[in-house]
Amino acid sequence: MPSILNLDLAALGSQLFVGLSRSMILFIVCSGLSYVLGVLRVPNVAHGSLYMIGAFSAFSITKLVAGPAGFWLALVLAPFIVAVVGFVSERALFCHLYQREHLMLLLFTFALSLILGDLVKIIWGAEYKSIMSPAVFDGSISIMGASIPKYNFFLLIVGPFVAIALWLFATKTKIGKIARAAAVDREMVGAVGINVSWVFAFAFVLGCFLAGLGGALVAPTVSITLGMDHNLIIEAFLIVIIGGLGNMWGAMVGSLIFGLSQAFGVLFWPQFAIVFPYMAVVIVLVWRPKGLLKSVW
Amino acid sequence: MLRVENLYKSFDGFMAVNGANLIVGQGQLVAVIGPNGAGKTTLFNLVTGQLRPDRGKVILNGEDIGTLPPHEVCRRGIARSFQIANIFHRLSVFKNVQVSVLSRQKKSNRFFARAHRMAVQETDRILESVGLLDRVDDIAGSLSHGDQRILEIAIALGTEPQLLILDEPTAGMSPEETTGTMALIRKLADTQGLTILFCEHDMDVVFNTAQSIMVMYYGKTIIQGKPEEIRRNTMVQEAYLGGEDDA
Amino acid sequence: MRKKGSNTGTLLLLAALAIVLLLLPSVLPRFYTYILSLIFVTALLAMSLNMVVGHGGLFQFHHCVFYGVGAYAFALMITKAGLPMWLSFIAAPFASALAGLMIGWLCVRLTKLYFGMLQISLGSLIWAIAFRWYSLTHGDDGIHGIPMPDLISSTSAAYYFIFLFFVLCLLVMYLIFKSPFGMALQAMRDNPDRCAAVGINVRRHQLTAIVIATFFAGVAGVLFAVLERTVFPDLLFWVLSLEVLIMCLLGGWFTFAGPAIGAGITVALRTFVGIYTEYWTLVLGVLLIFLIFFLPEGVMGFIDQRVGSLGRKKVPGSQGV
Repeated sequence: MPSILNLDLAALGSQLFVGLSRSMILFIVCSGLSYVLGVLRVPNVAHGSLYMIGAFSAFSITKLVAGPAGFWLALVLAPFIVAVVGFVSERALFCHLYQREHLMLLLFTFALSLILGDLVKIIWGAEYKSIMSPAVFDGSISIMGASIPKYNFFLLIVGPFVAIALWLFATKTKIGKIARAAAVDREMVGAVGINVSWVFAFAFVLGCFLAGLGGALVAPTVSITLGMDHNLIIEAFLIVIIGGLGNMWGAMVGSLIFGLSQAFGVLFWPQFAIVFPYMAVVIVLVWRPKGLLKSVW
Repeated sequence: MLRVENLYKSFDGFMAVNGANLIVGQGQLVAVIGPNGAGKTTLFNLVTGQLRPDRGKVILNGEDIGTLPPHEVCRRGIARSFQIANIFHRLSVFKNVQVSVLSRQKKSNRFFARAHRMAVQETDRILESVGLLDRVDDIAGSLSHGDQRILEIAIALGTEPQLLILDEPTAGMSPEETTGTMALIRKLADTQGLTILFCEHDMDVVFNTAQSIMVMYYGKTIIQGKPEEIRRNTMVQEAYLGGEDDA
Repeated sequence: MRKKGSNTGTLLLLAALAIVLLLLPSVLPRFYTYILSLIFVTALLAMSLNMVVGHGGLFQFHHCVFYGVGAYAFALMITKAGLPMWLSFIAAPFASALAGLMIGWLCVRLTKLYFGMLQISLGSLIWAIAFRWYSLTHGDDGIHGIPMPDLISSTSAAYYFIFLFFVLCLLVMYLIFKSPFGMALQAMRDNPDRCAAVGINVRRHQLTAIVIATFFAGVAGVLFAVLERTVFPDLLFWVLSLEVLIMCLLGGWFTFAGPAIGAGITVALRTFVGIYTEYWTLVLGVLLIFLIFFLPEGVMGFIDQRVGSLGRKKVPGSQGV
C-alpha cells in the first residue's frame, strides 16, 4: 500500500474530479430508481436491465446513423425506447398488481429483470459492444494537474441538470405533486377522483426513461456488456439505501459518497478500491440504518 | 402502579403528546378519553415501548420504563391490545394465544420441543375465559371483526399481565358486542385481579365502567378524576363533551 | 393439533417414499440418479431459504451467498489448506453461518425492503470477491477436481450420501418448524409488532433463524461440492438466489415441504428446457410471472386449499399452518 505521506495535491485533485464525475454518472443512473421507489414504494429491480437496454439501444442507433448526429440522436431516442418498454410492461402486467401486497410488485420486477436480461442477449448477442463519443468530446481538460476526459466533464454538468429538472418536476408540477401524494396515501388520492393507476404508470415510465437516459449517457464510458444490469443494481441499491429511500437528494448524497470513496480508495489500495464504497456503506448503515436523509414516505 | 409524568412526544414538529400525566392504581379500571387526534394511542405507544418519549417519565411499580423496548415492557407485566386488530392472521386461534403463553413461559426459544403439546391447559383456560374455546382450530384471519378484537384480548392475557392496556376495545362493534366485551373486561378485572387502562370513544362504556377517567386534549392531560367529577367539570364540557355526540 | 388420526397414514406414505427413493439408483440410468442428487441438494437449499422467507417473513433475497460460501469454504479447506474431507465437511457450514451472522446482523436492523436490498448488495460484494480474487478462488474458472474419498465417489454412492444428509437436515428443520421457536417465527412473519408486545425479542429471534438457515444453506453448498467436485462463482450469483426464491414460491412458501417440491420441479424443468434453448433465465422470468398472477400460494398451497375444503385430509409432506 502506498504511503499516505507521498500524495501530492495534484493526485488528490485529480481523484476528486474523477470521483465527482463518477458520482454524477451514478446519480443520473440512480435517479430513476430513486424516483420509482419514492412513488411506487418498490425498488425496481429491472432498473438495471432497463439501463442496459438504454445502452444497447444507443449502440444500435449509432450504428445506424453515423457520426456525431448518431450519438445525439441516440441520447434522445434511447430513453424513449426504454420508456416504451416500461410502458408496455406496466400496462400489460404490472398495473394489475397494484392491489396486491407489496412483495408481489417486487417479485414482478425480479421477473422483468430476468426476462429483459435474456431479451437483450437474444436481440444483441453476447459480445462486448462499444460506442465512441462524438469528436467534440475528444481529449481532456487539465485541472489542477489532473486530466479529465472532456466527456466526463460533460457528464459533470449534465448530472446536476438532471437532478434539478427532476426536483422541479416532482415538487412544482401538478403531476409531480400528485405522484408524491399517491406514494404516501394512495386511497386518499383515489378518493379525490384521481386515477391512481395512471399516476403510477406515469411515475414508472418516467423512471424507465431516466434509466434509458442513464444508459445512453454512460455508454461511451463503459463497455456495453450483458453483466451491466447486475453491476448497476448492486451499486444503485446501495446508493439509494444510504441516501434514504425515494429521496432524490439522498440519491445525490449517496452517489457522492460512493463515487468519491472509490476514487480516493484508488490512492490507497488500487486493486481493491472497489471495497471502499462498501465500507463507506457499512459505516453509514451502522450509524444511520434508515439512510442519511429521510425516506420520502 | 403506573405513573406517567409530563410526557412529551413530537413527530417532525407536531406535538402528538404535549404534557400528559396519568395515575393508575392497582386493580383499578382507568379510562382515557379525548377527541380524535388527542394523542391517546400515542400515549399508549409511549407507555408500552413502541415509541420513545422526548421528555417525561413512565414509571411502573417504581421503575422507569420509558426507554425500554416493547418486549421488555411486556416482561415487566404490561400487555396491550391494539386499535386495529393485530392478530396472527395465518395461525389458528389456538396458536395465536399459545405463542403468547409460551413467550410468558420463556419457552419461545426452544428448538426441539413439540409446540402443539405445550401450554395446552393454560391456552385452553384463557380461550375459555374469553369465550373462544369453540373456535380453537379456526384460522384467525377468518374470524369476525368482533371476535378478532376478543382474540386480541386473549393474546394479551397470555402474558399474565398485571396491567392490561386496551386501545379502543369496542371500536367497530355492535351494541350487543360492546356490552358483551365490556362485561368480559369487567369480569377479567374482578376474577384475575387485573388493572385495566383503556381508551374509548363510547361515552356510555366509559362512564359505566371506569373508576377513574383521564381527559386528553391536543396531547395534553386536562384532568383526571372520578366519573362524577369529570361529568361536572366545565373545562371538559367545553373541550370535549359539550356539543359532541358519540355513539 | 387435534388431528391425530392421519399421522400414521402420513408416516406410512413417507416410509414408502423413502424406500422407493433408496431403490431408485439401482434401476435408473446414472444421469437420472445424478439429477435426483442435484434435486436433493437444491431442495435442501430451498427449504433453508424458506425457513426465513416463508416461515419468517424476512426478505432474504440473496440466500445463495451462503450456499456458495459453504461450497467454497469446503473446497478451499480441502485444496488449499489440505484439511481432511470429513473435517472440512463439518466446518464449512459454520463458515456459512458466520457469514449469515454478519450479514444478518447488518440487515436485521432494517425493515423488510432495506433488508432485501442490502442483502443483494452485500451478497454481490462477496460474489465479486470470489470472482476477482483469482489467486485464492481461481475466479471465473472455479475450483475443479476436488478430491473425494472413494467411498462416495460413484454416482450411486454420492446419491446415498446426499440423500442421508438431506433426510437428516429435513428432520431437524421439521423439528424446528414444529417447535415453539418455529411457531414464534411464523407469528413474527404475520405480525412482528404483536410478537414484541407479547415479550419476544424479535430481532434476536430473527437473527437466530437466519444463522440456522444459512448453516443449512452451507450444508447444501458442501453437498453440492461433493456431488460435482467443482465450485464456481455462479453459486454466489444473484440470479441463482432468485431461482431458489422462485422454487419456494412455486412449491408454496407457507407450507413445510413446498419448497422441496418447487426445487424438484424447477431442476427438472431446467434440465429439460436446457436441451432446447440456452435462455433458461427467460423461461424462469415467465414462470415467475405466471406464479405471481395465477398461483401465489404455490403448488402445495393450491393443493392444501383444495384438500382443506374436503375436511383437512393430510397430503404427504404438506403441513398447512
